[in-house]
Amino acid sequence: MKFFTPFRKKSPWVLHYNAGSCNGCDIEILASLAPKYDLERFGVINTGNPKQSDIFLVTGPVTYRSRERLVELYSQIPEPKVVVAVGSCTATGGVFRGMYNVEDGIDRYIPVDVYVPGCAASPQLIIDALVKGLEVLEAKSKEIEKPFKLFGAIETIHNKLSRLNMATKVEPHAKD
Amino acid sequence: MDMVLTLILLPIIASILLLMLPNQRAQYVVITAVLFFLGIGAFSLYTSMGLLTFQLSHTMNLAIVAADVLLLLFFLYQGRVFNHPKVMALAAVQLVLYGYIELIAPESGSAEIMVDSLSKFMFLIINGVGGIIVLYSVKYMEDEPASPLKKRLFVGGLLVFLSVMNLIVIANSILLFFFLFEMTTLASYLLIAFRDDDVSRANALKALWMNQIGGVVILLGALVAIIGFKTVMFDTLLQSSGGMVLFSIALLSMAALVKGASIPFEGWLLGAMVAPTPVSAMLHSATMVKIAPYLILKLAPALAVSMVGGIISIIGALVFVAASYLALSRSVLKEILGYSTVALLGLMMALAAIGSEESMNLAMALMLFHALSKALLFLSAGVLERLHHAKDIEDMKGMVTRSPKTVGFILFGFVSLTLPPFGLFMGKLFAISSIAALLKEHPSNLIILLSLIVGSALMVLLYFKVASALLSAPSDIRASEAIAIPNGFNVPLVLLSFFIVIGALGYIMLQHNIFVVLLALPMLFVFALPTLIRRMDRYDRSQPYHCGEKESFNAALVYYEPSLKLQRILYWGFGSLFVAVAIVGALS
Amino acid sequence: MIWVWIALAPILGGLVYGGERVLRARMQRRQGPPILQPFYDMFKLLDKRTLIVHAPHALLAVAHFFVLWFSVAAIFLGWNLLYIIFLHLFAQLLLILAGYSVRSVYSHIGSNRELLMVVAYEPILILVAVGLYLVSGSFEVSQILKSGGYLTQLPLLFAALLMIVPIKVKKSPFDVGEAHQEIVGGVEIEYSGVFYEFLYMSRFLEYIFIYSFIYLFGGESHWLGALLVAGVFLLVNLVDNATARVRPAQMVKIIYTVAMALAVFNLAGVLL
Repeated sequence: MKFFTPFRKKSPWVLHYNAGSCNGCDIEILASLAPKYDLERFGVINTGNPKQSDIFLVTGPVTYRSRERLVELYSQIPEPKVVVAVGSCTATGGVFRGMYNVEDGIDRYIPVDVYVPGCAASPQLIIDALVKGLEVLEAKSKEIEKPFKLFGAIETIHNKLSRLNMATKVEPHAKD
Repeated sequence: MDMVLTLILLPIIASILLLMLPNQRAQYVVITAVLFFLGIGAFSLYTSMGLLTFQLSHTMNLAIVAADVLLLLFFLYQGRVFNHPKVMALAAVQLVLYGYIELIAPESGSAEIMVDSLSKFMFLIINGVGGIIVLYSVKYMEDEPASPLKKRLFVGGLLVFLSVMNLIVIANSILLFFFLFEMTTLASYLLIAFRDDDVSRANALKALWMNQIGGVVILLGALVAIIGFKTVMFDTLLQSSGGMVLFSIALLSMAALVKGASIPFEGWLLGAMVAPTPVSAMLHSATMVKIAPYLILKLAPALAVSMVGGIISIIGALVFVAASYLALSRSVLKEILGYSTVALLGLMMALAAIGSEESMNLAMALMLFHALSKALLFLSAGVLERLHHAKDIEDMKGMVTRSPKTVGFILFGFVSLTLPPFGLFMGKLFAISSIAALLKEHPSNLIILLSLIVGSALMVLLYFKVASALLSAPSDIRASEAIAIPNGFNVPLVLLSFFIVIGALGYIMLQHNIFVVLLALPMLFVFALPTLIRRMDRYDRSQPYHCGEKESFNAALVYYEPSLKLQRILYWGFGSLFVAVAIVGALS
Repeated sequence: MIWVWIALAPILGGLVYGGERVLRARMQRRQGPPILQPFYDMFKLLDKRTLIVHAPHALLAVAHFFVLWFSVAAIFLGWNLLYIIFLHLFAQLLLILAGYSVRSVYSHIGSNRELLMVVAYEPILILVAVGLYLVSGSFEVSQILKSGGYLTQLPLLFAALLMIVPIKVKKSPFDVGEAHQEIVGGVEIEYSGVFYEFLYMSRFLEYIFIYSFIYLFGGESHWLGALLVAGVFLLVNLVDNATARVRPAQMVKIIYTVAMALAVFNLAGVLL
């Protein structure tokens, strides 16, 4: 499929997920999609559906409640895929760092390809990060990428590859 | 004539045989043999030419009169036992009318029995579809909580009913027709009350009194015919002309509206759904209610381009829309099927009453394909009821994993009702083009056209709403633990599907139109898809999307409940249209 | 020649779709994607891993695409309009069944809405066919294109057809079937990779399908037909940018009261 690979960077469809952010970065993401910054000129569509996305835009420091959803969404995005961590919280936890209900960054759970600094990250930076992400996307293979935590199993049952249990639930009262 | 006699007598003999055979295997042998001979007989009659007539002897006529009086007395008695004034009153009215008519009835001019091409066509439906339903009923009754004798009586009764139906479609005398009409009412009554609980009894009595209205109007029609033309024969009546003809015809076609359960009489047919499923399939969908379009077709030469014909076709068309709409509020599968039967009967009556040759042919085609498809759907509903104890579509959610084959049959039934190249769809398609061709001469047909289009759209909504409940399967990683269908159920279902396909093929070949044949291509393609299933193994299986949650799936069904006001408008509207048939008939 | 057009139909539709995205962008005073963007998307989808829920679900999308293509081919070949409409209905029902066949709430909502859309636009399409038949004397597309004067005799019917174009191409105010992120794409939700590609291409075919009906009103004059298509294309996008989405039930109500009344009024006028 070498022929089709160059087209990866021509049509990046994004999935935007808020893992407990203060909504600052989310507003900036929406701003960059809106007419002023017009991300659509790169072919970007905000699909809202992991199964048809290439780029996973995550904001927020990952709260306890959002861990399972984050990993579930990540594992539902078909490869090749790129994760862009938008905002300082996603990298380090930002202003939420050290709080009792926060995981201090999404890279504890899923592999991140591009980090965007800023609180909130500016639309220009987000666009830059997306373009950077496209380079990463083009270089990637179609191997299944696994989350770091909450990873269940990828099984082969009756000749069929099952991703049904790829993301697992957090054990109740687990200390992780 | 021998062949016709076979069709009438063979089921009766078989039912007596069945009563004496307790062994199930022997029962199957008998029924299969009967089905085989009936099918052969009906088919060879259908392909034969010519008009067969037969005159009943004096004693036979007397026997019929006696039986008729006994029947009406039985109705009167039932009304008294269950203290139902409407049943009693209508039975009494019929007794008086019938007595008076027999007093003044003229000596029969022409033959009482006449087998024309329409009757031969009806034989095909009655014996083909009816026979398959009898075959199915043996297995169905196995689990019925009733005594063995009662079960055998049930199967035997269905067989006897076949011969009643075979007789009614060849009756040329209105009085003979009346007797058989009342016989079918009796069959309805007894079979609905079969389970003998409160609901069954109430619904049976409802069916009894409503159908007796049909009896009354037939008698009134006969009375008008006798006074005006000194005849009780359909053929003489249809050939005569004059003011009173239409009045008599109008009264007779009102009987069709009652038997066809047009709104406001649809209550009895829906109530009838409490009966065991073979009864619903046989009486209330595939054969008995087909008397309604049959009667209109028989009267069509007189109805065509008359005011009465016009009003009946408008009633039929409006019933098609209204019943499809009302069905959207129901959740019991059999009731939904019942409503859609009411709707399609309305459509058939509308087409028959238009009375052009093309529309009559279409009405006949619709009758055949409707009988096949609805029988298939009812019998599949019966399978779900027996194997999974599910009657309500709310209980059938995700049924495809538990019973994929039955769901397949139901889906096939729906598809055969709505999509090319199956007969019912083709009928509707040709109906649209033939009505459109008539529009220029009769602009009033615009109402019928509009109802046909909107009604068909509503039916699609209805069927696929039901499909939505049945479907929704989880990932196909593991083999599902489905319950197999026993052969007693499987064979009739396969037979019906086979006939639906054969019928569709035959029908599109008959059109001599290459484009119609090409309409079948997409369906062929869809049927070829399962061969690709193994090739799908290479794709990853994944969880359905739940916004990242891992919720269990529970989708609600959508119901469209008409407001009380709308319902009242519908009932009064259709009620007054029903009365208007008689008034228009009297005036013209 | 005609077979080439049929073969190229999805590509033609893709160009229309790409052009539409540019047009909408320009209406919002932004640059928008390149006009070939739909094809880039298609090629990219071929390069992705494909996730499916179960095999019949995925296959139904393929069937949907090919049956839809068949119905578009039937238009190009000049068949009977009624056959074309019902072939299209067939394709639509396959998609609806696909939506119902998975355990996904959004898919079910999407299918419900698709069904309501079918109920809304199907009668109008058939009435349009009947109207064209009354004026031209034939249901055949090839015959309809040989006479003219539809626009003068069926202006209200054309207005009714205009009202259902947004339903078919999923544009506001009647874009209930897809509804952007409100129901996450509806029936399309469980598809990815190759199988989503089929749905994506069938969207192109829908454009060809519905705009062919507009084109028919031009009759023998190809220029009038092309002008009508271009005008309706602009109008639909203008309305899309300027209106909000209505609820599904409202959509059915609006179509059944306004559009149906227009169509019936026009037909009655032609008949009397």
